[in-house]
Amino acid sequence: MYVMMAGLCLGGSLVLGESKSAGINHFHRHVKPILERNCVQCHGEGTTKGKLALDSEQGVVAGLKAGVLSAKDGSESALIEAVKGPNPDMPKDSKPLSAAQVAELEKWIAAGAPWPKGAKLVDKRLADQKFWSLMPIRKPAVPKMEGRWGKWVKNPVDAFVAKRLLEQRLTPSGRADKRTLIRRLYFDLIGLPPSPEQAEQFLKDQSKDAFEKVVDKLLASPRYGERWARHWLDVVHYADTHGYDKDKLRPNAYPYRDYVIRSFNSDKRYDRFVQEQIAGDTLFPGTPEGVVAQGFIAAGPWDFIGHVEVPESKIDGKVARSLDRDDMVVNVFQSFMSTTVQCARCHNHKFDPISQEHYYNLHANFAAVDRAPRRYDADQATLAKRKKLMSQKTGLEAKRVLLAKKVDALKTPEMKALEKQIASLATPKKGVSPSNGYHSAFSNKAEVVKWVQIDLGRVVRIDEIRVFPARPTDWKDTPGFGYPVRFKIEVSNDVGFKKAKMIADRTKADVVNPRNLVPKFKVNGIDGRYVRVTATKLWLRDRRNYALALGEMQVYGSGELLSAGRGVTALDTIDSGRWNVKHLVDGFTSRMPIAAQFKANASMAELRSKLKKLSETVLPESVRVQQQATEREIDRVEKALGELPAQGVVYTATVHRGSGAFRGRAGLGPRPIHFLHRGDVTKPGKLVVPGVPPLVPGEPVAFNLAKGHGEGDRRAALARWVTHKRNPLTWRSIVNRVWLYHFGRGIVDSPNDFGRMGQRPTHPDLLDFLAIGFRDGGQSIKKLHKLIVMSATYQQASTMDTHRAKLDSGNRFLWRMNRRRLDAESIRDATLVLAGKMNFKMYGPAFRDFVLEKPQHSPHYEYHKHDPNDVTTHRRSIYRFLVRSQQQPFMTTLDCADPSMSVPKRNQTLTSLQALALMNNRFMLAMCEHMAKRLRGAHRDLAEQIELGYRLALSRGPTADELKVMVGFAKKHGLENTCRVLLNLNEFVFVD
Amino acid sequence: MLSRREMLFNMGGGIGGVALAGMLQTDGLLASETGPGWGARMSVLHHPPKAKRVVQMFMGGAASHLDLFDHKPFLEKNHGKKSDFGEHVEAFQNGLGPWMKSPFKFRRYGKSGKMLSDVVAPLGDCVDDMAFIHNMVGKTGVHSQATYLQATGFQQPGFPGMGCWISYGLGSLNQNLPTFVVLPDRRGFASNGPKNWDAAFLPQQHQGTIIRPGAQNPIADLFPSGSKFATRTADRKALDVLKELNRKHQSQNPGDSRLEARIKSYELAARMQLSAPQALDVAKEPKHVLEMYGLNHGKRSYSKQINAVEEIDYFSMKCLVARRLLERGVRFVQIWSGNDNGFPRRNWDSHEDIRRDHGPLAMGMATGAAALIKDLKQRGMLEDTIILWTTEFGRMPSTQGSKGRDHNPYVFTNFLAGGGIKGGVTHGPSDEWGYKPLDRANPTTVYDVHATILHQLGINHEKLTVRHNGIDRRLTDVHGHLIKPILA
Repeated sequence: MYVMMAGLCLGGSLVLGESKSAGINHFHRHVKPILERNCVQCHGEGTTKGKLALDSEQGVVAGLKAGVLSAKDGSESALIEAVKGPNPDMPKDSKPLSAAQVAELEKWIAAGAPWPKGAKLVDKRLADQKFWSLMPIRKPAVPKMEGRWGKWVKNPVDAFVAKRLLEQRLTPSGRADKRTLIRRLYFDLIGLPPSPEQAEQFLKDQSKDAFEKVVDKLLASPRYGERWARHWLDVVHYADTHGYDKDKLRPNAYPYRDYVIRSFNSDKRYDRFVQEQIAGDTLFPGTPEGVVAQGFIAAGPWDFIGHVEVPESKIDGKVARSLDRDDMVVNVFQSFMSTTVQCARCHNHKFDPISQEHYYNLHANFAAVDRAPRRYDADQATLAKRKKLMSQKTGLEAKRVLLAKKVDALKTPEMKALEKQIASLATPKKGVSPSNGYHSAFSNKAEVVKWVQIDLGRVVRIDEIRVFPARPTDWKDTPGFGYPVRFKIEVSNDVGFKKAKMIADRTKADVVNPRNLVPKFKVNGIDGRYVRVTATKLWLRDRRNYALALGEMQVYGSGELLSAGRGVTALDTIDSGRWNVKHLVDGFTSRMPIAAQFKANASMAELRSKLKKLSETVLPESVRVQQQATEREIDRVEKALGELPAQGVVYTATVHRGSGAFRGRAGLGPRPIHFLHRGDVTKPGKLVVPGVPPLVPGEPVAFNLAKGHGEGDRRAALARWVTHKRNPLTWRSIVNRVWLYHFGRGIVDSPNDFGRMGQRPTHPDLLDFLAIGFRDGGQSIKKLHKLIVMSATYQQASTMDTHRAKLDSGNRFLWRMNRRRLDAESIRDATLVLAGKMNFKMYGPAFRDFVLEKPQHSPHYEYHKHDPNDVTTHRRSIYRFLVRSQQQPFMTTLDCADPSMSVPKRNQTLTSLQALALMNNRFMLAMCEHMAKRLRGAHRDLAEQIELGYRLALSRGPTADELKVMVGFAKKHGLENTCRVLLNLNEFVFVD
Repeated sequence: MLSRREMLFNMGGGIGGVALAGMLQTDGLLASETGPGWGARMSVLHHPPKAKRVVQMFMGGAASHLDLFDHKPFLEKNHGKKSDFGEHVEAFQNGLGPWMKSPFKFRRYGKSGKMLSDVVAPLGDCVDDMAFIHNMVGKTGVHSQATYLQATGFQQPGFPGMGCWISYGLGSLNQNLPTFVVLPDRRGFASNGPKNWDAAFLPQQHQGTIIRPGAQNPIADLFPSGSKFATRTADRKALDVLKELNRKHQSQNPGDSRLEARIKSYELAARMQLSAPQALDVAKEPKHVLEMYGLNHGKRSYSKQINAVEEIDYFSMKCLVARRLLERGVRFVQIWSGNDNGFPRRNWDSHEDIRRDHGPLAMGMATGAAALIKDLKQRGMLEDTIILWTTEFGRMPSTQGSKGRDHNPYVFTNFLAGGGIKGGVTHGPSDEWGYKPLDRANPTTVYDVHATILHQLGINHEKLTVRHNGIDRRLTDVHGHLIKPILA
């Protein structure tokens, strides 16, 4: 019996063994390719959909155990059921397997799903780099065009275009007329129409390089950067608020916007432009650009509640922070490399060689930073001085500690006891006083007059006035806070102090700050109703902020306190938090009730003098002298720091040091980044390292960083990798973007996606020619513009042609120029220019074309309450304050970019709401009025006024017919309505 | 047909062009009874539709399922006892106090015997036309993300609202009014403001258009305001001259259908100026209709405290306006109740006091919603109009403070009515506390609700997609199953 059993078993395993090796061969030849191409993307380690893993022995054994891979009772296994038939459930979202493939899988399962020991399958798509955008960029030969074609070709761009046209049996259109060209070029390069004079000058200029001269002039104009920075800000989804719920303002976002404008205007090398935005603080330390440019990382939306109200330890807090990093990672890849890494958040990228792990490697590069305001010095010299002073300060403070230790060692027990007593008296008793006192508004100079006064309610005899310096509890402990450097005290019977009696005049010389003492001013029986303290030289609070502040004021008369709870008025006041005018007479100093303050002061003074006496006998003089000298030095350094030019603040990516729920990572190092199964923060997998996907040939996926590297080193490595010469995407991406803005269509018309889901280049050789020329030829965007606009391709007419349209209705091969609708900014800016109202002031805080309400909680942005005649808003649209949650309705109707997402290409819709906006919006109506005024101011004759209107709006005069119609209309309905018609013309709204 | 296709390409093949293509189709091709409408992306529906129109009622701040629709005898029995969820619960604030019964009484209604709380009693007449889903689950207890999720199907900004998708897919049933209308709360926008109905990557015309009944300009820029020269006569003449000059320009630039489209857009605008004020003029509604909506009390001023009369006036008026818009061919109306989180509280986020805030808000909502359901039914419109009532998430069965409830993203309630939805149905119960779905493995999600609504409109939710930055986007992301038990 026993023997038989053993024999059977032996035989059994023998048979199995044989079939197993055949099964393994079958697996390698037939099954593995099917699984690697179709299944392991979702059914693999880390991404196990339906709990089935088909990439490892372990997974398959589990699948067998669970019964998914085995047939039961003659029916099909769950796996086969899922893939078989005309409409199978699997593979999800892609082509069904062929019948032959299904048969191979059936055979494999019938054999018991054999698996080669230790074999691990990989997603084959991830290794597939044979795709146009991932191939190395090679310099293509410029096609040689001959005959008529040769004549048409003006530069290499045309040669590539001509070759494609010829292949498609298409011919190019003729050159556009000069009036069309100048209008096209102006809107294209600077986003504004040419003035009638500029247009006229070009039309008259018969020289060969007339066009080139205009091109050079426009590229050198500061208006150019304002136009092209807007394109870039669309891509990086920049705005001046956070977005999400409680869409709070980001008043310090604009330095990044200004940085982009300056970068375009100065034609910054592109690699530098990219590197500054990803890791400027690390790669270019000490430069203001290095800090400001990182506004790029912070440009997108930020979930205020998810960060500020929910800590990182909670699930919602984790989700918020993970999505926040996602936005940073995506912004880099979408903007610079036209790559959709975001698809790999929950699973391997379905189409491009980016695994889910690569995606989380990218998270690790941003693991330490948050979006937050950061200070920076405006120039290197200041930064150097600040650094020097700060290091001096650190040294002096160390010296102070050292001396204190020395002194400590010499102190007698009696001295120590005294010190303890003093400290306990001087220690602010938190919450004892409900208020700090009165605080004026800030001034940026000391020599400014500020006053605060008490109304005693009636004329009354005054004997004494006591002035308590402030010492706020919500500020670093500063006795004597806010006490004026020069001041006077007066009493008057009239509220305006037209006639006043001087009580104390301290305006002639600086006074010594009384710190914890309470100056008393004896009056001895003067009658009056109002008591006023007027500061003529203010106290320096910090840097350049000066103010007057007082903890409390008391007026006594006939032994009575007269001032308690009386009315207080002031020239100005900050009235916020613990500061308020009424706190000047509330019976509390900044720290305690007044009675307690007196007691404390009295006993403290006594203790201090005791201590002083003791120290003079115990401590050697040399030590005391050193101590005093150190204190003087510290004062000097602090003063010098205060006198440096104020630092700027920019909303940027920074290692944040915060409190409450939004703590940031200062002092903590980068957050540990885990692989997240299905992108779910509650399902963290292994820790991942900083790195990148395998998109640059020869470059490793994991960054080679030293142990203990700084967080910025990760971003620096990323920046270097993005701008790597062999990066096949970066250079193609930028030249394609520039091309798109010139033609309204990219060579690759999915400018944010060069992957398999994106479009293919219509002119692959041209794209590579431009990319290599750009990369190796100085990386000048201005040079690229010039190459493009000087081409015959760009200068073609936009005229339609039915024959050629039949062959290429979408004009993909550029047999003509595309007619384009003006974008929202160009319409608004041109309207301001036509109305004669444009103010070309550059840079600085954004103008707000809304009224802000309820900013404390959830700000309301009330556009309809804004006055369109508010001149502060008559600036170029790039300086507009961009609100994420409530976009400006007029601009939105005109397809303005939505800053909640990257917009690589604007829509060009034509809707009835747009017609209503251009006809009736209050901005348009106001500008029609100004434009009419301008026309009237220029000419007396109505026909001439209308002629000028045409030249302004369309860069041409009206035809006789048009003039007749418009004059007739203007006579009846006025010049304002005539301007309204002009600004609504198709010819105004489209550029040929 | 060539010119249409041509135009698509002129627009760079972008979706802007596609939608515009529809705009030009003013002939008989469009607005057939059962096919897609004017301006539609879809040329044929995926399957025969049951409904043509949608009303979405959105309760900003998160309305409590436990105090309106989801009756919990357990909480009545155990009121005041220490709460025990049997597991660790991550509360949004600190709302894990003792179990708390609803401050409102529940009663049985209709043939189906549905239990409703007294503050939604007006809906009692309609329960046999309504389907309740009590096992809705969200993903987050943060207002902003939760609102985005229910409104757009995604937790982040940058995605089109459901109404935008439906406008995009099905187009308009009229030529004089917007396809997708939003009626916001008078006190302000809910979380995320207009981003909840933003077109995002869809063309601009699919964005929800805000209508403020009673305002001088109920639609932004419908009429010129504050201008001396833009008179009605001047307007009319200006449009004539504009058309004449644009036509001339067009004849000199043949073959570009966008020039034609733009000329047409001004004609449409003029038509909207005529039809919008008519649609909003409720003065001529008969007395019995105003009575049904609770708008006949003649009160003109309200108490400063939140109160039912004022809530009824505003919410019900929006419901009445919604009916008038639906009658005139508006396809999607979104009605909001509750503003953002300011003080005093004027939304459903009752952390402090359920009775104080939910009471009047619910009475206003229920009065309007019930009237709308009955009104549509009387007019034979309920059969092809879907009403969806939704909110951000639910509220906890335990107390916060002594009278409030904290956020509960783990379970909440939706109801649907009309448009082929089965009446008198309660689907997917929550557990005995109303803390999570009874069957935790099979909850209902917003994707399921969206998929079901699209299905009723003749759209396969997996097929209505738009490629954006490399991803084929759809309303239901990669999720969504039909909720078959609530379909008639």
